[in-house]
Amino acid sequence: MRYIWRIGWREFFENARTKGFWIGILLFPVIILASGALPVLLATKGVSTRHYVMIDQTGEYAPKVRAEMTRQRSAEIDGALRSFARRIPTPEPLVPFVTPGSSNRPAPSLDLDGWKKQAGSSYWTVPGFSLPRAAWLEVPVPIAIQTSNDVPAIEGLLRPWLRGEHVLPPSEANPTPKLFAAVIIPRDYGTTTNEAAALRYWTENTADTGLRDSIQRLLGDELRRREYQSLGVDPAIIARVEAKRAPITDLNPRKAEGEEKVGLADRLRQWAPSFFVYLLWISIFAVSQMLLNSVIEEKSNRIIEVLLSSVTPGELMLGKLLGIAMTGGVMLSSWLGSIISMALVQSKFFAPPAMAGGSANAAASLPADLLSLFQSTWLLPAFGVYFILGYIAYATIFLTVGSLCSTLKEAQNFMGPLMLVLMVPLFLMPFIPRDPNGPIATAFSWIPLYTPFVMMNRITASPPLFDVIGTGVLLIAFDVLILWGCGKVFRLAILRTGQPPRIVEVFRWLWNR
Amino acid sequence: MSDAALELRNVSKYYGEFCAVDDLSFTVPPGCIYGFLGPNGAGKTTALRMILDILRPTRGSIRILGAASALTVRHRIGYLPEEKGLYKKMKAWAVIAYFAGLKGLSSRDARRRAFELLERYGLKDFAHAKTEALSKGMGQKVQVLASIAHDPELVIFDEPFSGLDPVNQGVLEEIVTDLRARGRTVLFSTHVMQHAERLCDRLIILGGGRRLFDGTLQEARQTVPHRVRLESEDDPSALKDVPGVVGLVSDAPGCWQVELGPGADPQRVLRACFERAIRLRSFNSAEPSLHEVFIKLVGPGAREATFR
Repeated sequence: MRYIWRIGWREFFENARTKGFWIGILLFPVIILASGALPVLLATKGVSTRHYVMIDQTGEYAPKVRAEMTRQRSAEIDGALRSFARRIPTPEPLVPFVTPGSSNRPAPSLDLDGWKKQAGSSYWTVPGFSLPRAAWLEVPVPIAIQTSNDVPAIEGLLRPWLRGEHVLPPSEANPTPKLFAAVIIPRDYGTTTNEAAALRYWTENTADTGLRDSIQRLLGDELRRREYQSLGVDPAIIARVEAKRAPITDLNPRKAEGEEKVGLADRLRQWAPSFFVYLLWISIFAVSQMLLNSVIEEKSNRIIEVLLSSVTPGELMLGKLLGIAMTGGVMLSSWLGSIISMALVQSKFFAPPAMAGGSANAAASLPADLLSLFQSTWLLPAFGVYFILGYIAYATIFLTVGSLCSTLKEAQNFMGPLMLVLMVPLFLMPFIPRDPNGPIATAFSWIPLYTPFVMMNRITASPPLFDVIGTGVLLIAFDVLILWGCGKVFRLAILRTGQPPRIVEVFRWLWNR
Repeated sequence: MSDAALELRNVSKYYGEFCAVDDLSFTVPPGCIYGFLGPNGAGKTTALRMILDILRPTRGSIRILGAASALTVRHRIGYLPEEKGLYKKMKAWAVIAYFAGLKGLSSRDARRRAFELLERYGLKDFAHAKTEALSKGMGQKVQVLASIAHDPELVIFDEPFSGLDPVNQGVLEEIVTDLRARGRTVLFSTHVMQHAERLCDRLIILGGGRRLFDGTLQEARQTVPHRVRLESEDDPSALKDVPGVVGLVSDAPGCWQVELGPGADPQRVLRACFERAIRLRSFNSAEPSLHEVFIKLVGPGAREATFR
């Protein structure tokens, strides 16, 4: 046992000493943080405000579009101000309007209407608050254009601006603003369906369809409204009809009476295991790969012979498995630790970053929901157990492949088909949460190579106890079998040089004493 | 039970049909330096691996330091394999300490021994260098030190001198003689006969997996006829009649090899030259070298082995 430890420690320290190990450990929380912050960052900083002109020959539609754009913009500002108000300590002038967070609603909330009443029209001029950047901004037409002119004539004049050959007058935020798009509503818009009367949307950038889509939606609503009116429907009725939404409440019969409502926490419960499966997969393969490399290094350097004059092949194999398991364990614990501590810090001290409207509230409770998920389910312990059991199976197989080969290139030939088999849990991942106790999930749970991933995916959906224990016992038995079989192959293969043996030969080693 | 450091009895190793070691028996007495000689493919490395119980013999038995398997006494054995390699990213001292640790030394003792050895054999300045930064010879020395760091009773070196420059070969010879001076047994394989000649108390020569010779250096020399080389302008054919002379051949114009029978005295040949008025330009009588012994014993077989 002592030698197994020694080999394990060396393996661990050698890996822990590499830059890759530390980069892996540190990069993970950075990626998590970035994946949370990046969309917000991109929305606020990444893309500069897009300028557009709107020429409406009908004179009827543009005011509607402008009104709606203004409404959206103020909703955006309101959302940002609400997030700003959650800051600790509460920003000075807002203090009387902020209700502090409580245990079941950790984020403080702002009485915006009250504040608006007091502050008046420029309610966003709060020290420290900066207006979120507008995604779209309508600018005056840069040249004197007679809007009554022919559409082709107008377009001919606008083209150099749209191509960026001329820039708009500089603003504070942007010294050389370009004209992003031109929206031209022709004279007979909405009266016929022929193409000549369609709205003409000009832009170089056909990938960013945000502006085009919102204008199309707004005008669609407007056209329908007009149609109703022309049919003699009362505008008040139209407004009432349009305000109708199909209400829906998600309920789950498994939850306690009175709390059956399905919230973010429940969705998290259903989908969080997928994240853990992914984490499991990455960690198992990352560390198994390390093992493969390390055994090939020893084999190609012929260090293996010195090792085998000191320890038995079994001790060597177990020592290496242990050492890499420690490496993987440290990596995983630090990953999980960073997720948990980020959630803790977020839920205790910080409001979440600004997000548009309602999602800000959902995001506010995410860390707290995540923490309660960890506390109330077997997610973390199951993760630990399945990591160990899955690791033993895969790492042993990788180790044995390493022992059969003298170079990494040879090993890659073996790894190709193996990797295909191992991709299956990843393909299954999206389907299992939809029917976690269904036939596919159950069937794959009983294949030991897939048990850790599939069971991990099912764990928060209360799988039958029989499945949990049965597949667990089968997996342990499989691990023992793998250790025994691979131990035999390892002992014979490890001293072999030259060409790797044929598969038939490997099986012969297994059956012979 | 014998008190030999190592004893092989009728050991054979087959890989399928191929016989790598064939019915090999020999005994290594304790406290001696034992040479393990043979051409490439003679079965030396296989035999050494079997001695270390890395490989199991197909037949026969091995007793090493009184035990049936090297694994049970592995802490008392040091081993340097033929192909040398080290963990590239580890520091020199750490490699030595690691292997010493696997041989049973405590971490602290292993570390202390590593620095002690590095200092003693001139590598003190490289103790903290990664092994990938060391020259080939230095790396090899580190590996030799790693194999003896736990102060083993029996040390097995497989081709320890290959790849070393003459200075470092000298250092290694010093290590080997130091070990003997402290009563340790050293078994080393080589095909550089000069090292074997200088160091070995006893030696075994293998060829085609079989034992061709086992004994002391003196005994090895006696397997080859003693020769006298002489240069003369006269024809020395008359020497054939001298008792003890078994052959006479010319290997170059005016140069002759006089082959002597067992126990024949070279002085008698010299005297016969004077008596028969053969005028000599040179007369050279030397004991046969180990090289000659080796060539005689394994020569034809070694050629075959090369093309096997």
